[in-house]
Amino acid sequence: MDDGGPSRLRPFPPAEPVPATGDEPPAGASGGVSPLRPYLLTGGRTRPTADPPLELEAQLVTTETGQLAVARLAYERCDILRPCRSPLAVAEVAAKAGPMDFDGSAQPRRRPARPPPRRGPGARRRSADAGPPRGPASEPHRDRPLLERVIRGLQAFE
Amino acid sequence: VDSKPSNSGHRSPPLPVKILIAGGFGVGKTTTVANISEIPVLTTEAAMTDLATSIDPIPYTPEKATTTVALDFGCITIDEEIKLYLFGTPGQDRFGFMWRDLTAGALGAMVVVDTRRMDDCYPAVDYFERAGLPFVVAVNMFDGQLRHGLDDVRWALAVPEQVPVIAYDARVRLSIRDALLTVLNRALAADN
Repeated sequence: MDDGGPSRLRPFPPAEPVPATGDEPPAGASGGVSPLRPYLLTGGRTRPTADPPLELEAQLVTTETGQLAVARLAYERCDILRPCRSPLAVAEVAAKAGPMDFDGSAQPRRRPARPPPRRGPGARRRSADAGPPRGPASEPHRDRPLLERVIRGLQAFE
Repeated sequence: VDSKPSNSGHRSPPLPVKILIAGGFGVGKTTTVANISEIPVLTTEAAMTDLATSIDPIPYTPEKATTTVALDFGCITIDEEIKLYLFGTPGQDRFGFMWRDLTAGALGAMVVVDTRRMDDCYPAVDYFERAGLPFVVAVNMFDGQLRHGLDDVRWALAVPEQVPVIAYDARVRLSIRDALLTVLNRALAADN
């Protein structure tokens, strides 16, 4: 944040966003923020390790290991693990954890929702026995039973 | 490595589905998401600075002090296994880079229109047409009034017959619900 004020929002994003190249732009490039901090936050990762990348609505759940570790963690890590005791969407976690800072591919640059290092405590997007990640399809949905179910659910909504 | 999640053995996380709420500045996207979401809507909003005002003027709604620069995010629990997420997305061309990610896996989209500034929604209509995403044009009735006939709106936007053009009130929960149902029914029809 350039203004140093209490707002956790930038005034507005760059007028001409750089097309996503898959490369993480240096964090200091856009706002005089030290690149060291994001480097530490991501454990040195400079690009997503999830393939395909997590969607904004992908569900995150803190593992038992993560729960046990919460007391030892601070700042962002704690802010991410604590609310994810029940499943939360990536966008929700990101919005609660801090400024949303888009890097051109709608991924929060602070990447609070990246999968944790393999051995570390962390949030996972699926339970151990839940099968494939519960992310959306990459194409628009063409799943009739699912659509019908959402319609029924929404009709009951008051 | 194989640490169990906290709810191990009970049920897997809900399946997320999403509908996009698109449209120009100040058409009522934030209001729409906020009035139907069961969680407080998460919005990245910033006050319009003088600079931004010159870039994105809103001549017909001068009282609007802030405008959405990133996205609004809301949620409706459909049942135990499905959560419907709503993403209010900026309508300007310069935010188009976000749309690809937002469109992926979406059930459909609702293009919110303010008939006083019709051309603001062209980029969204163009994008969803090209992406093959089922969408509905929803005219927000400011002050509960419809200023132009829906046929005129359809003509102005040049959308094909199968795309529903409806009127709704972004301040009324059930009106939003019905608009979303129109989106879903359009998605069902597009499936045929």
